[in-house]
Amino acid sequence: MKKRLLLIALIILSFSLVGCEKTQIIEDEKLNIITSFYPMYIATANIVDGVEDVTLECLASPEVGCLHDYQLTVNDMKKLEGADVFVINGGGMESFLDKAISVYPEIKIINASTDILEEHHEEHKHEEGHHHEENPHVWVSVSLYIEQIKNIVDDLKNVDPQNADKYEANAKLYIEKLTELKNEMHIKAKTFNSKNIVTFHEAFEFFAEEFDLNIVAVIEREPGTSPSAKDLVEIVDTINELEVNAIFVEPQYLKTAATTIANETKVNTYELDPVVSGTFEKDAYEKIMRKNIEVLEEALK
Amino acid sequence: MFRYEFMLNALYAILIITPLFGIVGTAIVNNKMAFFSDALGHSALTGIAIGALLGITNPTISMIIFGIVFALLLNRIKDLKITSKDTIISVFSSTALALGLVILSKNGNFAKFSNYLIGDILSISASEILALLGIAVLILLFWILFSNKLYAISLNPSLAKSKGINITLTENLFIVLVALIVMLSIRWVGILIINSLLILPAAASRNIAKNLRQYHLFAVIFALVSGVLGLITSYYAGIATGPTIVLIASVIFFATYAIRRKIGD
Repeated sequence: MKKRLLLIALIILSFSLVGCEKTQIIEDEKLNIITSFYPMYIATANIVDGVEDVTLECLASPEVGCLHDYQLTVNDMKKLEGADVFVINGGGMESFLDKAISVYPEIKIINASTDILEEHHEEHKHEEGHHHEENPHVWVSVSLYIEQIKNIVDDLKNVDPQNADKYEANAKLYIEKLTELKNEMHIKAKTFNSKNIVTFHEAFEFFAEEFDLNIVAVIEREPGTSPSAKDLVEIVDTINELEVNAIFVEPQYLKTAATTIANETKVNTYELDPVVSGTFEKDAYEKIMRKNIEVLEEALK
Repeated sequence: MFRYEFMLNALYAILIITPLFGIVGTAIVNNKMAFFSDALGHSALTGIAIGALLGITNPTISMIIFGIVFALLLNRIKDLKITSKDTIISVFSSTALALGLVILSKNGNFAKFSNYLIGDILSISASEILALLGIAVLILLFWILFSNKLYAISLNPSLAKSKGINITLTENLFIVLVALIVMLSIRWVGILIINSLLILPAAASRNIAKNLRQYHLFAVIFALVSGVLGLITSYYAGIATGPTIVLIASVIFFATYAIRRKIGD
């Protein structure tokens, strides 16, 4: 009995010792930037490219995809601990962070969608039947993504005026590449014969607007929730009525519901990538978008 | 409503799954294994997680393998009399659930797997219906060969043993079968409610059945009625199908319970 008590005491003691171990916060001279998720990482990586004394990290790992219902892990909190600047997409995409980030008031938050969503809503106020629920998938439109780059670089110049010129030059170069990409895509988009499409979740609203496509139905209105029988019937009927030629799924999500609809309507499914996961390459955005436009060409010819 | 292929497929699936659940449920209720099958349902989450770790897109295989191993192990350990059966089952159940959650939420994206919690019978395909049909045949075969033995064990294990029934073999076979049916239907029924579908029809049937034949018959009928009615109701109401089926099964349970009380008075 005594031995057992001793053992328990030892265990408790060892736990308290672990608790005492001080977390060493390394005060370095570097500007530690973290981004909330994949597209923000790619954007920021292009802006800070080649700038010394800057570290860049992404909070959510690149295979997570859209941050709907994301849950913070201990690792994420550790990353936040050492951060100076936090680049987010905004528009509610990072709503899971509101509480966590309030713990670190000293972190400078750069909201890439500042003024973009507001302006967008102003423009569309008069449109009839346009639902005004905020859609955070700003980066999926190339034009709005360019606006996001401008936002990030403006704020970053204020935070780190020493490197302002470098950020500015990088952003200029990146925006040139993106503009070229945009023009390329617009030329191809003009050749599309049909404009009615069905997408998997509401990620492509701004993308469709940019390329004059008409999203007639969305399969998962609430990401992660399968459509009910009633929803399925509505989508199937819409597809049949409007002679939709393509259902677009996303590589980040299970295709089961889309497959059900495809079988029902004999319409093909194609994969559109909302640029939310992939490898950490600087030209990832352009690569994915070029592939998207190819898929669209194939689907809508 | 059934001019839509997905509704027709869902109906076929329900017509196959629910009688199976009814009949297997009677044995589960008789042999006091309700908690056991609940644990089995929870273990599916670990099966899915292992599948995800190995990068398998369709985790059914890893679920079935893990489910069978889990069930056999649990059955062996619960008879070792280390502590009470329900405690052991609870320990296993919580471990499997926690392990599954830890792996699946590793990158903070558990939401992707939330479909497994409530199931999605509307997305079942023709080939998957065939797989269910296969398991239905297996269960029917087992039922013809072993149902009397299982019943004898549930009544009096020592008597059953003296009559030359191999208790361990019969039990293990049954458990493997339960694991198979649970894992094959979890994508359509959902982890949270799969056990209700096993237990409720049998429990309701037990309320009013006068003999073994009635017990089995009523259980199958109740399961079928809840399944078909649940599908139709969910179609018109625009709600999730699995939970609707379970709700109707529970209404049947309480109705039969009231009937029994009345007769009993």
